[in-house]
Amino acid sequence: MESISAKKVSEKQPSRFKRALRRITAGKVVSYIVLSFWALTTIYPFYWVIINSFRYRGQIRRDSFSIPWPGSEYFTLDNYELAFGRFNIPNAYKNSLIISITVTVVVIILAGLFAYGLARYNFKGKKFVHSLVIASMMFPVFCTIIPIYKMEVAWGLASSREAYKSLIATILPQIAGNLSFAIIVLLGFIKSLPVEIEESAYLDGCSVFKIFFRIVMPMARPSFATVAIFSFLWSYNDLFTQSFFLRLPNEKTVTLLLNDINSQAGTNYGLMASAVVLVVIPILIVYILLQKNIIKGMTVGAVKG
Amino acid sequence: MNSTIYKKKGPLVFFLIPALLFMAVFLFYPFIMNIANSFQRITQLGSSAQGMNDPWYANYQKLFNDPIMGTALKNTMLLMLATIVFEVGFALILGLLVDNIKVGTQFFRTVYFFPIVISATALGLLFNLIFLYNGGMLNQMLVKFLGLSDYIDWKDSNHFLFTMLAPIMWQYVGFYFVIIVTGLNNISGEIYEAAAIDGAQGLKRTRYITLPLLRNVLSTCLILAITGALKVFDLPWIMFSTGIPLDESWLTGTYMYAQAFVFKDVDYSSTIAVVIVVLGVVISQIANRVFKEVDY
Amino acid sequence: MKKTLALALVVLMMFGVLAGCQPSTPAPSSPSPDAPPVQSDEPAPPPVDTNEPVELVVVTTYGGDDGNRQNYEAAYQAYEVATGNKVLDASDTSNEVFKAKVLTDFETGSEPDVLFYFSGVDSNPFVEAGKVVSIDEIRAEYPEYASNMKDSMLANSPADGKKYSVPVNGYWEGMFTNVKVLEAAGVAIPGADYTWDQFLADCQKIKDAGFTPVGVSLQEVPHYWFEFTIFNHGNVDNHLDMPENGTDAVAQKWAEGLADIKELYDLGYLPVNTLTATDGDTVQLVGDGEAAFLIDGSWKIGWFEQNCADHLEDFIVTYVPSKGGDRKASDVVSGLSSGYFITRKAWDDPAKRDAAVKFVMAMTTDDVVSAFGATSVTALKNGTTPPADASSLTLSALEMLKGTTGAVAAVQDNIPPEIRGVMFNDLKNVITGSKTAATLIDETLAAMNNQ
Repeated sequence: MESISAKKVSEKQPSRFKRALRRITAGKVVSYIVLSFWALTTIYPFYWVIINSFRYRGQIRRDSFSIPWPGSEYFTLDNYELAFGRFNIPNAYKNSLIISITVTVVVIILAGLFAYGLARYNFKGKKFVHSLVIASMMFPVFCTIIPIYKMEVAWGLASSREAYKSLIATILPQIAGNLSFAIIVLLGFIKSLPVEIEESAYLDGCSVFKIFFRIVMPMARPSFATVAIFSFLWSYNDLFTQSFFLRLPNEKTVTLLLNDINSQAGTNYGLMASAVVLVVIPILIVYILLQKNIIKGMTVGAVKG
Repeated sequence: MNSTIYKKKGPLVFFLIPALLFMAVFLFYPFIMNIANSFQRITQLGSSAQGMNDPWYANYQKLFNDPIMGTALKNTMLLMLATIVFEVGFALILGLLVDNIKVGTQFFRTVYFFPIVISATALGLLFNLIFLYNGGMLNQMLVKFLGLSDYIDWKDSNHFLFTMLAPIMWQYVGFYFVIIVTGLNNISGEIYEAAAIDGAQGLKRTRYITLPLLRNVLSTCLILAITGALKVFDLPWIMFSTGIPLDESWLTGTYMYAQAFVFKDVDYSSTIAVVIVVLGVVISQIANRVFKEVDY
Repeated sequence: MKKTLALALVVLMMFGVLAGCQPSTPAPSSPSPDAPPVQSDEPAPPPVDTNEPVELVVVTTYGGDDGNRQNYEAAYQAYEVATGNKVLDASDTSNEVFKAKVLTDFETGSEPDVLFYFSGVDSNPFVEAGKVVSIDEIRAEYPEYASNMKDSMLANSPADGKKYSVPVNGYWEGMFTNVKVLEAAGVAIPGADYTWDQFLADCQKIKDAGFTPVGVSLQEVPHYWFEFTIFNHGNVDNHLDMPENGTDAVAQKWAEGLADIKELYDLGYLPVNTLTATDGDTVQLVGDGEAAFLIDGSWKIGWFEQNCADHLEDFIVTYVPSKGGDRKASDVVSGLSSGYFITRKAWDDPAKRDAAVKFVMAMTTDDVVSAFGATSVTALKNGTTPPADASSLTLSALEMLKGTTGAVAAVQDNIPPEIRGVMFNDLKNVITGSKTAATLIDETLAAMNNQ
């Protein structure tokens, strides 16, 4: 860590402003124009969702593109009041976090091990295993959910009316569901790592496991962070699996609860918009936190340190 | 990899078994059940089979004679191509641009992620309102600024492809962007420094250093794009549900879903799922091989 | 390779473990479906010790933001207070995923104690498996069960003709009309004697005035127009007849009905984008005063109350025009499509039997049913009483219902859901002329016979 910041500082210290000025070239200007244009297209929908979460119900389809200023007749906090008033939102956040964090942690460990094994070892059936992973990425969840549900009922996990068992019943298939994606992505990243570092560590007497945990994982930290972000996101947003296993009020997650509120014929769009805002906030926090790990130079620092 | 470390295969069990166990129980076993379902008669998700189909491969026969399946495959292939060219391509450009700037990287990385975190329901509504016939954002702008006399029906036969593909393209650029940026950051700064000494800068550096080093990541993106196109479902479903207009806009993902939940032909839906998986594996293999041939 | 072998072995073992688990699933206590409904030789369970509080798992469709969610919560909480029992509410919003969950629960033996569910063909799987208890069997022990309901209005199961469910509120279908649009086009407000010819003339006037006469999304929800145009060529007594082939008298009737929709389509009385618009879009047209007529169900009242609160007085509910046949405009489509089931599992559990019966009775008292739906069709002997603060649209619907001369259920409910979905998706091809009605009917019948 220190080495990166040190590097950055040393890079930026001598008269930052002058250097920056000197670097402004036509290429940079075009870069910023392209990047900013794309940023506009991605910010706009989020802005649209936020303004409409304050819009009076029934007003969205008619006029969704103007701003409901506070104080105007279309401005309302009802959507949020309704969400918090009728449901136990804090408990739902708790359930969501338990599920998604567990899934994320298990997925990055298991997928990391698997991808490392697949990337570095040659063995019979390697191609087959690789195809199997690709195939499983396409198994639609609604095809697999019913056998899984029946199995977990037989194990006494699903439908037990005990909250913690229901959470586990949700976590297990979600782990499996995110594994294949995580493996494919990590595989690509681990393959790109230079083997030489592992070899020199091996010559220094490190075991393979030590190499994985001490060298590969830290070196591929940005990749693990990326996979973690997506695992978290998909576990958190996976309405379908959650709705099968989490039925009682105290088991519900934020995503489920807010989907419940605006499920009926999807007519109350203001409520839906406020639900989106409430659901999105934790993901953005997780993303921004994990993103710090995808910062350039981290790998260099980690290997050196 | 011919490194000496990896000659001894003992630890491999430890690396592979835990994840394989999970996948075997929660993916392979249920999917084997799904394959079995494709030979049986099931009319409601959750109810048990009412016996074998007659002949047992009836669904696969039906598949070849189903004109909608043909449409769905055609559209999906188109989507796949568009995904690879526009989503991955544009994400790569954005990634390289962000990699080359100093100010605002964090900002761009954060906002490009927005489309992925906002639920498809909300995005579907937004796009429906943008493309709405009566008083949609686009139609209003066309009439106001370009003086069009009539509204355009963005979901009719002439326009549906654009209306369907554009939002999907837009939504997933951020996804590939994050992966590509991660790949770019895995490239150690030392390599760039060495390159700079050798005189490789700007486009040259991109062409001869960055892209080759990104190769594995790009091949990952290729696989993700192919499998993703085959199963993409939520946004097109919300905007085009059952093949608007006149069964022209089906995709394999939406068709499979509709067979399970709207037409209640669960066994046929399972059959489509099998086809999607087989196609996905085959196309990824081919693409991988082609990709390997491409010379840098 | 030894390792691969080991790997394969482990995977195999896993399947072994799974296989070991499987058999225990379907086995538990599913009584043979043909067991006599009244086990007379079995001593009735001892009067339940009411001091022992019971936990009752209840699944209903009053989940999410269902219009009756609050009424439902109030009613079951009153039951909890009155009996000391606890209700574990796992209600959900009714959709296809919900149905899949309910059926899977019955399959795995994890069904709830009380279920509020559709009483039509959707309930067949668990009725056939003998997993719910018939009203007759319950009445043998609790004679007052559902005694406030008209027996003739309780749904017969399509599976075995017996009555299983106690209904709360039913549905009706009628024509929502935007009066503002009619005024602007100089069209009189239609009444109980509205005819198809008047309707066509009105549509032309409305179209000429620059509005869309009918709000309908043919690609998504042609269901209501299908129902009424067919009804128009028959009457209350024969509306539910099913065709035997694509050309018989009933099929003829259906074809004529569909031809009427095609006429509207060809004359340009439907929205320009009726083949690409969603139902949400076209309903909005009526709400926004861009279209005049909308045939829809009783559940749409809530939509108008929520989304058009500031101009609710623009809307009325009136009769769908009749077309010279036996059907009077004031003959409507209505029915009771769902109700409370008590599962065999709860009934056979001496601790739960009484609690479950009392729960259903508490949820179907005259007061509760009235609170749930004042304008809806009811099986109550005494009828429902409308709330004092009913909206103008509710009052309009009540008046429409008061003038009703006949009522019949929806004929499309005779078609199993899996075939119905395909048929309605294909309907647009008949309307646009790329398929004949006879072909569609033949295909639908072939699919039904194939079962």
